[in-house]
Amino acid sequence: MRHALVIARREIESYFVSPIAYAVLTIFTFVSGMFFSNMLVFYVRQSVLADQQLQRLGRSDLQLDVPTMVLSQFFGNEGFLLMLALPLLTMGLITDERRKGTLELLMTSPVRATELTLGKFLGAFGFIVIMLLPLLPMFAFLAQGGEWEPGVVFSGMLGLLMLAAAQIALGLFVSSLCENVLVSAIGTYGLFMTMQFIDTSSSGPESLWAKFISYFSFYMRHINSTRGVIEVADLVYFASYITLGLFLAQRAIDAIRYKRS
Amino acid sequence: MISVTNLSKKYGAFVAVDNLSFEVKEGEVLGFLGPNGAGKTTTMRMLTGYLPPSVGRIRIGGFDLYDHPIKAKRLIGYLPENPPLYPEMSVRRYLRYVAALKDVPSGRVNVAVDRAIEKARLGEVAGKRIAKLSKGFKQRVGLAQAIVHEPRVLVLDEPTSSLDPKQRAEVRELIAALKGDHTFILSTHILPEVSEVADRVFIINRGKVMAVDTPQNLSASLQMREVVNVELSVPAGATAPADSQLDRVRAAFEALGRSAHVEATETDAGTIRIRLESDLGVDARADVADLVVGRGWKLLGLASESLSLEQIFLRLTRDKEGRD
Repeated sequence: MRHALVIARREIESYFVSPIAYAVLTIFTFVSGMFFSNMLVFYVRQSVLADQQLQRLGRSDLQLDVPTMVLSQFFGNEGFLLMLALPLLTMGLITDERRKGTLELLMTSPVRATELTLGKFLGAFGFIVIMLLPLLPMFAFLAQGGEWEPGVVFSGMLGLLMLAAAQIALGLFVSSLCENVLVSAIGTYGLFMTMQFIDTSSSGPESLWAKFISYFSFYMRHINSTRGVIEVADLVYFASYITLGLFLAQRAIDAIRYKRS
Repeated sequence: MISVTNLSKKYGAFVAVDNLSFEVKEGEVLGFLGPNGAGKTTTMRMLTGYLPPSVGRIRIGGFDLYDHPIKAKRLIGYLPENPPLYPEMSVRRYLRYVAALKDVPSGRVNVAVDRAIEKARLGEVAGKRIAKLSKGFKQRVGLAQAIVHEPRVLVLDEPTSSLDPKQRAEVRELIAALKGDHTFILSTHILPEVSEVADRVFIINRGKVMAVDTPQNLSASLQMREVVNVELSVPAGATAPADSQLDRVRAAFEALGRSAHVEATETDAGTIRIRLESDLGVDARADVADLVVGRGWKLLGLASESLSLEQIFLRLTRDKEGRD
């Protein structure tokens, strides 16, 4: 497994000299900051209104827990942002190696396809961890203003990481099928959007079909973690996707050699 | 060191490599010679474990490539046709990466990288990004990559194609210097490249071995020729119609008796080009000049050329096909 770490390290290094990765990093951080401050302002206004209502009427319809509301909205949006950002980071994982001919180097080295798959996965995941670091000061800012909810922050971050890991594993699989990065990116977007919104394709909310379909939805699983809930079922769900994605990617990478080129 | 038995690669009905068997002894240099599409790259890729063969066994240093891929691959250094480079990395960082992939112990990586840089003469560019290097240097980085783990077997696929003549000579020199340190297989479509270093040459075409010999015997049996190219025009007013003029000129050259083979073509500009092949050591230029002047034709060009080895080689593969 030493090879996996060697490959992961090179992958992270190459992100940091890639204009695409920098653009994604910059935009992700900027838009996250925008979401965060807008939501903070919105809920602070709401809570001021609620306070006034309370004073005037002696009661309020609005029971607001500002930090928690900001955080759950924020993490929900971050999940959506990740879906937009990740295909750009996973599209080249295997596709680029193929294009450069370096896949031939990797596959003629004493490296197993499993190590290669894992290394690529860890490389992209490592970059995502770095990409999420700029969010931490925002939470610190929230902590300054009142009751801070470490539990929601923790579950929200865990949720984002699990979602990212599942998406990376699937993106890696798509990348190992494609010879062209653009095709790889488009394919990954298609897959992610399907997985994200698949629960909306059920008609009645109570039907068995609706329940079945929503089991597969990224959104329905991720949304729990934004409310401070960590369910074992959700963890198992994401872990299953990671395993499935990595398994398919490993098989697909190994199969590239059988194609006529 | 390398043992190949009944190796074949089929893509559907297309047979890229057809029942190849050979052995390479420790320290031996084997040349693979063939035109583009002959199955050279496919063979190299199978030998290095990239492509799985359809049929056949490959053993590298006693390890079966199918049963013990990791152990076998540790023994192999491979330079594919296009060097597998990461343009964004520096030469040194790249070689360290490859060394780690090839299981060079971490304590030895620096030594191994320095040695590869020295052998491939990359000292002056070691800190530069690969993207900034010239094609010749990139090829040398590819070579350094192949030898960084001191492999016992070295497989080089067309190491000098796509280089300019100067770069080609440099890379060729580097390869010649590697002889003795490794058992190696070199594929190329340029005969002199293998004749300089190889102990044995395989000529392959359409996935089949056409000939196996030492480079010396091969050159002898290929009958090197001397070639003279002549361009001339027949002045207007000559009586015969144009097409028979060409035949007359050809007949005149054939009658010289100095040549084994004459080709005559008419150009758009109305001039006639003659290509004259004669035995090695025969210089027909003086006779040609006399003939042209004697007939009252105008001599526009006269140049000698030594029949390129590629052409001879193509002729050989073509001849063999004709006989099949």
